[in-house]
Amino acid sequence: MSSGSDGADESLYLPDFCTSRAALANVLIVELTALILTLARENGGGGFWTDLSRTSLFLLWIGLAGAGLLCWMRAPLSRQQVGRGSAAVLLLISALIAVISAGAFLVGRTSLVEDAGATSLFPPDLPTFLIRNVSIGFVVTALALRYFYVTHEWRRNIEMEATARVHALQARIRPHFLFNSMNTIASLTRSNPAVAEQAVQDLADLFRANLSDKRDTITFEEEYEVARTYQRIEELRLGTRLHVDWKIDSLPRKALVPGLMLQPLLENAIYHGIEPQPGGGTVTVTGELAGSLITIVVRNPVGDYESEREGNRLALANIRERLGLLYGERGLVKSGRFGNEFIVTLRFPHVEKLNEA
Amino acid sequence: MRPRVLIVDDEAPARERLRSLLVELDQVDVIGEAMTGEQAIQRAAELVPDVVLLDVRMPGIDGIEAARHMNMLEQPPAVIFTTAFDEYAMKAFDAQAVGYLLKPIRKEKLAAALAHAQRLTRPQLQKLTPQTEARSHVAAKHRDGLRLIPLDEILFFFAEQKYTTVRHLKGEDLIEDSLRALEDEFGSAFVRIHRNALISVRYLERIERNGDGQYFVRLRGCEAPLQVSRRMASELRERFRI
Repeated sequence: MSSGSDGADESLYLPDFCTSRAALANVLIVELTALILTLARENGGGGFWTDLSRTSLFLLWIGLAGAGLLCWMRAPLSRQQVGRGSAAVLLLISALIAVISAGAFLVGRTSLVEDAGATSLFPPDLPTFLIRNVSIGFVVTALALRYFYVTHEWRRNIEMEATARVHALQARIRPHFLFNSMNTIASLTRSNPAVAEQAVQDLADLFRANLSDKRDTITFEEEYEVARTYQRIEELRLGTRLHVDWKIDSLPRKALVPGLMLQPLLENAIYHGIEPQPGGGTVTVTGELAGSLITIVVRNPVGDYESEREGNRLALANIRERLGLLYGERGLVKSGRFGNEFIVTLRFPHVEKLNEA
Repeated sequence: MRPRVLIVDDEAPARERLRSLLVELDQVDVIGEAMTGEQAIQRAAELVPDVVLLDVRMPGIDGIEAARHMNMLEQPPAVIFTTAFDEYAMKAFDAQAVGYLLKPIRKEKLAAALAHAQRLTRPQLQKLTPQTEARSHVAAKHRDGLRLIPLDEILFFFAEQKYTTVRHLKGEDLIEDSLRALEDEFGSAFVRIHRNALISVRYLERIERNGDGQYFVRLRGCEAPLQVSRRMASELRERFRI
């Protein structure tokens, strides 16, 4: 079977026939086909076993030669699109069957076979033999291809879902944030239990939002609340070093936005933009509705030496993936450094919250 | 006499917590706090603590760079790093068996770390790379401690006998780093022009040649021209296409 190593989207769905596992599966398919064919011909006149071994012998030639051919042709075939690749495989196998059938027929005509009195084991008439074999071969190959295709698609879907899930997990709250918050709370439990209590509640809310499965779309109001909760926790830790400037008045509170985008962006901005500056700084979040498009911009100052780090790319990649899933071509994520600022822009179509019936 | 401890962390709640834990333990005296790497180095020089509890991730000079500078003091303190979660730093600590504590810090672990606190050895320090690869400052010894010179204010390094002179915007200082080590660390911002001189690319104004075919460079903010060795001249011309 093709392992997950060839990660290309349009990789050929055929298993790798060069492997012993595929060869075994191949022999099994061949034997089952031989059994069906023999059973179909059985008319109670005896000779079932002779017929089965004769058919098996013939089909094994085809099966093994076919596997060999596909193994040998794997590289050029795997460069084809699914449709063209399948057609090519069908054509190749049909041609192979025709050649082997003709070969078998010719062997039956040789003097060696005639002398041994084994003529009855071989087909008497070439055209009928050819047409029948190629037709049966065509149908069986098509069925096998279909089977390979479906298993492959199924496997690929599982892989894609797993990747998306991993990305989502990685894009979640940083361990760095969790442990620092815990440390802040540990300190506050002594000095200011009331604030510590508030911080624990905020942290719980934040994790609940992060672990929620309803991450598709939520109202901007809810999304803003999650981001504010996060901001409150960070303010406890960073004190006056952190300022967040919200310019979101022109964005309707009931507008539907993708869930859990603001908080990771704010987290990035604070982690990369505010924490490394001894004097702190200001993160500016702008949200506006223009026509039918919502634009959200998060900007933070950047130091001289600060480059784009791993965590940053993960969060952005996850947001990009989700915007793509939700809005297709109409969702847009841009990010980059402009002068002394790092700016992330999200743009997507505006949908007012529907009154659910 | 009880050990004297300096607490360094950029976050106020973290400092507060350490202080109250130390007061409860009642084994050491907290003699001061610092909020940045720069401040930590100054205070360590002034107060001469026995132990510094040093946060790894701080803005500006981070904990590991600060530790490297502090180790140059006449009486370097023992250093215990504290960190919430820094995968890379933690790996380096483990490999070097340097004392470190994970936040939120447990009282028992803090007590144990204080009991075993040791000065960092030179090889340990060398293996602990700061989070930003090269240091952002070099440190010069002074009667009253260390002077930190920001890298971008340095015009050139000049090697003499045992010491290296740093010429910077505010004057001259002596440091202990060898020219070779400095070149390895700051190679992208500085260029060697002579066996005994390493100049800042940032302040390079022009290269000139006198009648004898001898090359010199002129640096902004420095009147005297610096001699370029024959071997380095061609390299320099190539690098700056002159």
